[in-house]
Amino acid sequence: MKVQESVFIRQKKPLLLKLRDRLLAEFEYASILAVDCKGRSYSVSGRNVSVSEDTRSGSRGFVVRVAKDGRYAEYSFNALSEGDLDKVAEDIRAVAEASNLTLPEGLRENVYEIHPGEETVFVGSTELDVDPEALGDEAILSRLTEIKDKGRAISDQILDFTARFTWQKYSKLFLSREKDMEQNVLWATGGISVMAKKGQEIKSHGHSYSKLGGAELLDEMGEDLESHVQVAIDLLQSQRMVPGEYECVCDPATTGMIVHEAFGHGVEMDMFVKNRAQAAEYIGEYVASPLVTMHDGACSAQQTATYFFDDEGTMAHDTIIIDKGVLKTGISDFQSARILGTEPTGNGRRESFRRKAYTRMTNTWFEGGTDSVEDMIGSIKYGFLLQDPSSGMEDPKNWGIQCMVSIAREIKDGKLTGRIFSPCVLTGYVPDLLKSVSAMSPTVQLSGSGMCGKGWKEWVKVSDGGPYMKAKIRLG
Amino acid sequence: MLNKIKSALTQLGIELYQIEQVKNESLECFFVRKNLDLKRSTSTEDYTVTVYCAFEKDGRKLLGSSQTNVYVGMEDAEITEALKKAAYAASLAGNPYYELYEGKQAEFVPSTAKVANQPLEKSMEAMVGAIYAEDTREDVFINSVEVFIARGTRHIVSSAGVDVSFGTCSVTGEYIVQCPAPQDVETMHPFSYADADAEALRAEVKESIEMTRARAQATTAAPTGEYPVIISGGNVATLMRYYLMRSDASLVYQKISSFQPGDNVQGEDIQGDKLTLVLKAKDPYSNEGIPMEDRTLIENGQLKMLQGATRFARYLGIEPTGSYRSVEVPVGSTPLETLKSGKYLHVITFSSFDMNPFTGYFGGEIRLAFLCDGETVTPVTGGSISGSLLEAQKHMTFSAEKYESADYTGPFAVKIEGVSVAGA
Repeated sequence: MKVQESVFIRQKKPLLLKLRDRLLAEFEYASILAVDCKGRSYSVSGRNVSVSEDTRSGSRGFVVRVAKDGRYAEYSFNALSEGDLDKVAEDIRAVAEASNLTLPEGLRENVYEIHPGEETVFVGSTELDVDPEALGDEAILSRLTEIKDKGRAISDQILDFTARFTWQKYSKLFLSREKDMEQNVLWATGGISVMAKKGQEIKSHGHSYSKLGGAELLDEMGEDLESHVQVAIDLLQSQRMVPGEYECVCDPATTGMIVHEAFGHGVEMDMFVKNRAQAAEYIGEYVASPLVTMHDGACSAQQTATYFFDDEGTMAHDTIIIDKGVLKTGISDFQSARILGTEPTGNGRRESFRRKAYTRMTNTWFEGGTDSVEDMIGSIKYGFLLQDPSSGMEDPKNWGIQCMVSIAREIKDGKLTGRIFSPCVLTGYVPDLLKSVSAMSPTVQLSGSGMCGKGWKEWVKVSDGGPYMKAKIRLG
Repeated sequence: MLNKIKSALTQLGIELYQIEQVKNESLECFFVRKNLDLKRSTSTEDYTVTVYCAFEKDGRKLLGSSQTNVYVGMEDAEITEALKKAAYAASLAGNPYYELYEGKQAEFVPSTAKVANQPLEKSMEAMVGAIYAEDTREDVFINSVEVFIARGTRHIVSSAGVDVSFGTCSVTGEYIVQCPAPQDVETMHPFSYADADAEALRAEVKESIEMTRARAQATTAAPTGEYPVIISGGNVATLMRYYLMRSDASLVYQKISSFQPGDNVQGEDIQGDKLTLVLKAKDPYSNEGIPMEDRTLIENGQLKMLQGATRFARYLGIEPTGSYRSVEVPVGSTPLETLKSGKYLHVITFSSFDMNPFTGYFGGEIRLAFLCDGETVTPVTGGSISGSLLEAQKHMTFSAEKYESADYTGPFAVKIEGVSVAGA
């Protein structure tokens, strides 16, 4: 079934159209994004049960973008009734004119040629099998409790076991002179985490689940609990990594983190505009092994970062960023594309209606190859199988990479030895790492359980992934 | 809106609740080089309602809670529906019973910050001016800037008598410094102040510009090995968060942390400086309306108290203090120049410096460090450091110089012996 439209947006649309027309009479460009976003988070552990509306991401509000004499301004707000229209228009005028703001000497304001974008009328909704609201809190908590009880019963060595589930439904309306677009999207994520303790040190291991859809995700959770519990226990005996460069096999989640952190951020084209990304100088050149083909796009996969149009009213794309090792293009928001003279790729995203739009990744992944995982491991004299990535940080200007990985399983003479090293910092120069890719497995897996920040803020939902991948990687 | 919510709670017979009203306004400017690219303003009003439900199950007294958003402009029926849903959810989320924090009505506490008392544009001009005042060179310059000036009010009302409100302010943002030669590099600098502290920001920018020039000279990573490592600036604050988190009642109750008052949290046989850490009350009240005050958390390496919100404090039988996010650490007695004696690796910036409070592991990729072999100092880049604070905390030496940010005041630098470096 389809995700339902937002009643709030339907009710506000006549007023928003009135506001749009009023702004268009005054400004050379005016657009409005209306957002109605709600979600619920559930968590069950040995010592805590919680169920709440997701108050961090849940929000309702509006952001208006206007241009006056080629200068852009935005206003975010969440109070809108017939009686508020005058105040809203006044507030927008105030920020657009900025008559009280004096820039330091030597600074000026950018003036742009206004590009309104193509005429588009669109309405779309994603699909779901089980509506989490209809299923209800009790049934969801009951399923999570069942998983938690099963997990805790596996071993008395674990400190705690947590089962989590979150869903988010958002509806967006984008209005400008040329556009009238509506979309309704629902995604769900879940996870288990196991904690084990030795002295002052806590080791944890988790596994996540995600999909574009609803509570049907709960049916996918709860498998292989024994193996996840065993990993947490094994981590208590883990050793410190001896720093060095090793031949590694990355699991799909680790491949995904490399795709996202190593190259994804580096091709966000708002960074090209600021001369902050080295990738801008390498379009058309080999930046990776010929085995590497990389995609990004809200319609490149069905995952948690799938949508029909971005927060600037550009339809979603499937962008091939690297084609058989050659860098083809970056991804962009509307404004960056216009400045650079390229086509916008539907990657203009906001953390919420309260924040600015930036070029952001969506579903980002490497295509699969033809190699088997067994052959990859069998070909390594000494190295590691990397699993369970936890965090990463980008460096588009200098193509440095930093990822934290929780599990490095030792490979010796083509076999896993059972020894685990943890945690590991994965670093290096991005093209060196990507050019060292020597094998890819056929099956691609994407995970959309995480959020992505730009620098230290602006969190948006993304998914990433790929196949098992063999490469040379510096570990510490 | 507040009255509408209270009225709906009464009609539904919900006896235990907390309402938080947050009003905010902000001015935001985004610059590319010396050009203002976009200006934004925001004006929002948000309500979060926590509904509690006390009940018995299998002979155990339980208290469940659930939060919901109530949006400005919601009709009465919609508010009632949201609260009813939250009450039902609370009845399913039973945790061991505890008494809510009992507070009282108090006068509004205004913010004394300049940001609260002058037009937002004035604060913006001061901070933007501070950044660009140091942007005077051709060879190293400000690439881009984002500045967010925000102010507002928080009002917390509960069924247990709390009715407090206070003013809030924040000045946050980031600037990127670029140095195109001999190699084209950049460094990113987020900043966060409680007020429009233009002088502090200008000093930071000046240092960042010098640092970026040094990074442009750095071409190789430090050789792999173990080093005495100096960590400085905001990274010291990140390291100190380990103690803040481990002393949180929620982690202690869940047995994730075994911290107890009286413990020597740095272990025995401390060869470096003993740590003293004071919790700083940056807001007059906590999220639950608990009056916040400065408290000594650790004195000479010994834990003096646990801190935390009502629920887990009640479970542990301690006084709820509210959750703290800001700390002050007294500076050490060793000047930075003395810390830099002999062989060392002074990491100036990481791509991201991570501290895992569960494991005690810290690490990050090096964007710029200075390597001293005992005589010569060389700028290096790349590679990473990793270590365990559980081991490192026994031999930390704090600098005599001070560093201040929104949530940390304390030594500018700390030297840690025997840190593993994955380098060239």
